Amino acid sequence: MARKILITIFLIGFLTIMIFPMIYMIILSFQEPGTFAVDWQNLTMTLANYAVVFKSNNFGRYFFNSTFVALIVTLGNMFLCAVVGYGLSRGPRKVTWPIFVSAVAMLMIPQHVLILPIFQMMLKLGWFDSYWALTIPWLISPIGVFLMKQYIDGLPSDLEDAARVDGAGELVIFFRVVLPLTTPALAVVGIQTFLTTWNSFLFPKILVNSNEMYTLPVGLALMQDPRSSDWPVTMAGSTIAALPVIIIFLLFQRKITEGITAGALKQ
Amino acid sequence: MPWALYFLAFWLYPLGYSFCLSLTDFQLLQGQGNYVGAGNYIRLLQDPVFTKSLENTFYFVFGTIPLTTLLALILALFIAEKIPGHQIFQAAYFIPSITAMVVIALIFYNLYSRGGYIYSLAKLAGFTPPPNGFLQSEHTALWAIMAMDIWVAIGYYVLIFLAGIKAIPSELYEAARVDGASFWRRSWNITIPLLKSTFAFVIVLNTIRSFQIFIEIFVMTSGRPFNSTLTTVFFVYDKGITRGDIGYASAAAYLLFMIILIFSLLQFRLINTKRTS
Repeated sequence: MARKILITIFLIGFLTIMIFPMIYMIILSFQEPGTFAVDWQNLTMTLANYAVVFKSNNFGRYFFNSTFVALIVTLGNMFLCAVVGYGLSRGPRKVTWPIFVSAVAMLMIPQHVLILPIFQMMLKLGWFDSYWALTIPWLISPIGVFLMKQYIDGLPSDLEDAARVDGAGELVIFFRVVLPLTTPALAVVGIQTFLTTWNSFLFPKILVNSNEMYTLPVGLALMQDPRSSDWPVTMAGSTIAALPVIIIFLLFQRKITEGITAGALKQ
Repeated sequence: MPWALYFLAFWLYPLGYSFCLSLTDFQLLQGQGNYVGAGNYIRLLQDPVFTKSLENTFYFVFGTIPLTTLLALILALFIAEKIPGHQIFQAAYFIPSITAMVVIALIFYNLYSRGGYIYSLAKLAGFTPPPNGFLQSEHTALWAIMAMDIWVAIGYYVLIFLAGIKAIPSELYEAARVDGASFWRRSWNITIPLLKSTFAFVIVLNTIRSFQIFIEIFVMTSGRPFNSTLTTVFFVYDKGITRGDIGYASAAAYLLFMIILIFSLLQFRLINTKRTS
């Protein structure tokens, strides 16, 4: 019993360390403009910083860009990863095996190697600084393909065979029979893609350069020199970028955990 | 399977393309380059800024991973004890991992600055922090960013360790419980040895991630002061995107890629031989 109490105290102590900076961010975002650190004896509650962020910093546009890009990329991944996963799972092994192996190998490739070639490609295609650059290259991901293939492998093919005997075409089979059965895996892929796209910084930073195209993380990082910035305003922007993700996490916690651990245990 | 082509176009093709670029002196502004063979690689190894960036990256990787792994393991063992509210802890610890790195870097920039909470706390504890803040001194900046990284990463690895612990059959614990083994004894003798493959996964994943540290550097220091926080990916970004020296930067990116690959393979090797012996 004493042991459990000690453990609880330790966990609560750690909880404070883990949560404090996030709470600090939210509280600081409501302080008078110009505040540097929260003064607990003198707390204020003003929305002025949020007004600044939306009016003079174009955060409305960033928010739209982030949402739009994240939604397109998420839908694309759910659909395309399912298609490729299905193909890899049911297609002739001779064709699918090399593709699957290369997909797994891709999981190990660090993103930074792709920075310059993708930057170059986007320049050549004329997609630089457009929604194309932010969405098209990211519509499919190795991890999504991997998860979908593993999931479809676990589904019996009896239903598909039955539909085939009944004369259903391949497209009908995929949309009517396979896709509905993969909903749990689709949800995992969808949520994970949304979170990573929403938070991603490196590629959006490199692939666009006009203020109208910034996503939230990019807009936030380039908002002003953090060294001389108005902190409550910066924190208001940060809260806008962070809160949607935290809410999604709290709503879909089980699915998110499932996705992460599914990848982990397959190794 | 036309979609497989898509995959090739945006993942495999860039990989080969980047290798070709690394062999040229391609400049963004001129839009062309000549073949220079291994010239870029030789130049890199003689570039003191590049070697400094490698040194910083190595410090970062080997400084954070042991602590992150150890802390994540301890927390996971504690949470697995199923004390009331254990799910709340698991969720709360994970929140930093799903928050955009830019946001976290900004919060910690404030906390680390002079007058910020961590700065004041260090003063209260009797330390003398650098006069302008932790990120403004070449002696503390990298350490400060490393500490923040540990804080960010822990929750994710707690989750993975917990999944590993859950996969251990409970019969193994029944026997221990009958024998009256303590928590530490149980963990040390049963749980930890059975988590070997989870350890492997956590360490390899974290190595790959830590070698690529970039956003924190971009937001917090841009490699300053005196290149003390310059990491290799930031070097690639700075040389390639900011200055347009694409060939040279590609070579740096490839060199780092090779280093990551060697480390991952070595780690897998080490863990596998341990398992068989």
